Amino acid sequence: MNVEARKRSLRYFFAKIVEPLGYKFTPDDELAEFLLEQETHLEEAHGSPFCPCQGRTQNHEENMKIVCPCIPFHRDHFDYMKRCWCGLFVHKDVTDPDSLPQIPYADFRKAHDAGGSGEGR
Amino acid sequence: MKDVVMYTLSTCPWCRKTKKYFTDHNIPFKYVDYDLQPVQEQERIEQEMRKRGGPLSFPWVLIGDDLVVGWNPARYDELLALSKTSKR
Repeated sequence: MNVEARKRSLRYFFAKIVEPLGYKFTPDDELAEFLLEQETHLEEAHGSPFCPCQGRTQNHEENMKIVCPCIPFHRDHFDYMKRCWCGLFVHKDVTDPDSLPQIPYADFRKAHDAGGSGEGR
Repeated sequence: MKDVVMYTLSTCPWCRKTKKYFTDHNIPFKYVDYDLQPVQEQERIEQEMRKRGGPLSFPWVLIGDDLVVGWNPARYDELLALSKTSKR
């Protein structure tokens, strides 16, 4: 497989999917290139461009929830962070992706259950 | 010094940053790259991670008994009682 060509294809398709969801590629180009390269290798090895920062298991249905872009399966959590878990995508209004921490799902649930809306942090 | 054990993915840039953080601070740590393990070991790790209440999101770092999920150097500093001016 031509890795660079596949990365360009993924960029093209992913942009069309995430744009209507309110996301864009991270402005950190180095990070985006690294993540896309990992996804290209994961796709070659396992059949789909899985998230490089989430673990696959023996449960196929669960694995499908971490195929990039996995935003629809984790919408509330990712909207709360204004980024996806690996950081390939950020909310459209984000200009400084380094300011957005990874917030564990358990912490997000606690904030959500306590009435946090996910905005204005 | 607290024991530091982490589960990581070989494909994850935040896992690499986490390993580098502990290396740069001369803090000994053990790590297991989940994705490079045989299925049986992956299932054991999955059970352990889910028991602590989360999906399989990496990096997953145990500092003593405290769990930190995700790249969070401020929290690492805090749990290791490192100065805020320590290098990242």
